[in-house]
Amino acid sequence: MPFRPYPLIDRAGRFAPLKAAVFVLLFVPGLWTAYDFAMGNLGPRPHDEATHEVGIWTLRFIFLSLAVTPLRELLQWSKLLAVRRMVGVAAFVYAFAHLMLYFVHQAFDVVKVASEIVLRIYLTIGFVALLGLAALAATSTDAMIRRLGAKRWRRLHQAVYVIGLLAVIHFFMQSKLNVYEPTIMAGLFVWLMLYRAVVAASAAARKAPLLVASGLAIVSAALTVLGEAIYFKLMMNVPMARVLAANLVFDIDLDPRPGWIVLAISLAVVIVAALRQLVLRRRPQLQTA
Amino acid sequence: MNIKRKKGWEIPESQATPETVFRNRRRFLTAGAAGALALGGGAYLAIGQGGDAVAQAQPDPSAGLYPAPRSMRYRLDREVTEEKVSTTYNNFYEFGTSKNIWQAAQKLPIRPWQVKIDGLVAKEMVVDIDDLLKKVQLEERLYRHRCVEAWSMAVPWTGFPMKALVDIAQPTSAAKYVRMETFNRPDVASGMKASFYSWPYIEGLTMAEATNELTLMVTGIYGKPLPKQMGAPIRLVTPWKYGFKCIKSIVRVTFTDERPRSFWEVSQGSEYGFWANVNPRVSHPRWSQASEEIIGTGGKRVPTQLYNGYGDFVASMYTDLEKSGERLWM
Repeated sequence: MPFRPYPLIDRAGRFAPLKAAVFVLLFVPGLWTAYDFAMGNLGPRPHDEATHEVGIWTLRFIFLSLAVTPLRELLQWSKLLAVRRMVGVAAFVYAFAHLMLYFVHQAFDVVKVASEIVLRIYLTIGFVALLGLAALAATSTDAMIRRLGAKRWRRLHQAVYVIGLLAVIHFFMQSKLNVYEPTIMAGLFVWLMLYRAVVAASAAARKAPLLVASGLAIVSAALTVLGEAIYFKLMMNVPMARVLAANLVFDIDLDPRPGWIVLAISLAVVIVAALRQLVLRRRPQLQTA
Repeated sequence: MNIKRKKGWEIPESQATPETVFRNRRRFLTAGAAGALALGGGAYLAIGQGGDAVAQAQPDPSAGLYPAPRSMRYRLDREVTEEKVSTTYNNFYEFGTSKNIWQAAQKLPIRPWQVKIDGLVAKEMVVDIDDLLKKVQLEERLYRHRCVEAWSMAVPWTGFPMKALVDIAQPTSAAKYVRMETFNRPDVASGMKASFYSWPYIEGLTMAEATNELTLMVTGIYGKPLPKQMGAPIRLVTPWKYGFKCIKSIVRVTFTDERPRSFWEVSQGSEYGFWANVNPRVSHPRWSQASEEIIGTGGKRVPTQLYNGYGDFVASMYTDLEKSGERLWM
């Protein structure tokens, strides 16, 4: 069999620009981190910084892979499906690199790394998520889909919902006082999951995906705000009213609260989707492209 | 160099001082002389490396007090951390939760600066930092510094024993604890605008801890006034405890009979307590404290020592407390 650059071509063997672009982009954060590491740009604890950086990108890739199906529907962009497995495999590669960097950071002390994974519940959770990603990456080829059968393969790969959840929990638990980014990720995770659930449950919802997505954007942002307040109440005994009120303080020195970010990102997706639908309606020939 | 040498000085300075620091001191003296000439007075412009160039845009009125003579009683088993490393990697949540806050911290005005001394004292007072500095004897000490996040550094602090401050304050016999408080300035410290943390930063020590010979009120580092990101103009250093005990930019010292509840105890009491003594055998709930990464060494790890290696100075304070079930190690 001749060499075939799968990440760059479609099923018919033609060059696939979307696949090729995504393939290249998936390397960027890793190479960027490696470059910063080599140049000494990661501060006085470079391994720690690199571990965190690669870990955050793992989560982002898991999210992007979870976002493919909703985005494909919302944007009416069927080709997007062609990059889903690639993004998922990248999530595994980054997760593996994340663990390897932790090894390096612990001076290759295998016993310590193993005992830490067993002793610290957030590391156990992260490790289970990594094993899950490994199983999905190993079964990500066309040959494996054929071998498992499409139905069983799909059921197996639905594990990514659980893996995504475990990864977010891992991110939360490793945070000290600042849970800003994990809160945003949790909010977006809720949005993606709710969208899938609603669309799967209701035929009416399938007919108006943009309406559903924008409604759920508001719901998810509200849940993010509420969840943040509950988190601070449970973890730090901060009065919920004070955390809720922080959402209404706008100050150039402060980052917008996670609820606003979740709202902005999800609504931005909806707006892009709406614009694309407008364009598609005017130029129907694009729909077949 | 006019250095007062304490008893116990037996080895040449080149052996005790890493070469880089030794050279830095030279450079510092040159800069100091040039500055003194330029200003025609005792003050000088610190021409520092890295972080402190901005910090010292205004001449620091206490600059003439540095470098102070080094005490040889406190030895290191490792290299002194490079200045540009330690002055650009700082936990100072008042300026944000990242460690890259050294630039943001330059907004803090440190003159005039007053420290209020109150509570169970003979007479409450408000003392100006420069007046306080005239009443005490500054000395340089090389200490290890162990962060609760399992990293460490070793730095030449300059300061005076906290016992001297206690002597000035004259607490009554009813005083059992010292409570210390950081500035409350959300207008210059934007991290303090995060309204759901329990500002201002509070820390506390028992009277025995406060008067222990290791406990230092620090006003300088690397033979210069303390840069703002490290807690200028005055901070606490207790090298046998995790770093978060070492409260920065102190504005108030209160003697009390009630155990203070610190910023971290209030925020995350399950992980950070009042005592916070370093112990490699007692894990943080989320990570092992058995070893530490020395910052700026490209990831070198060394075993952590009980009381961060200062057991000879402090362990006796805790023998009874240990039996009473106090959470001494977090």
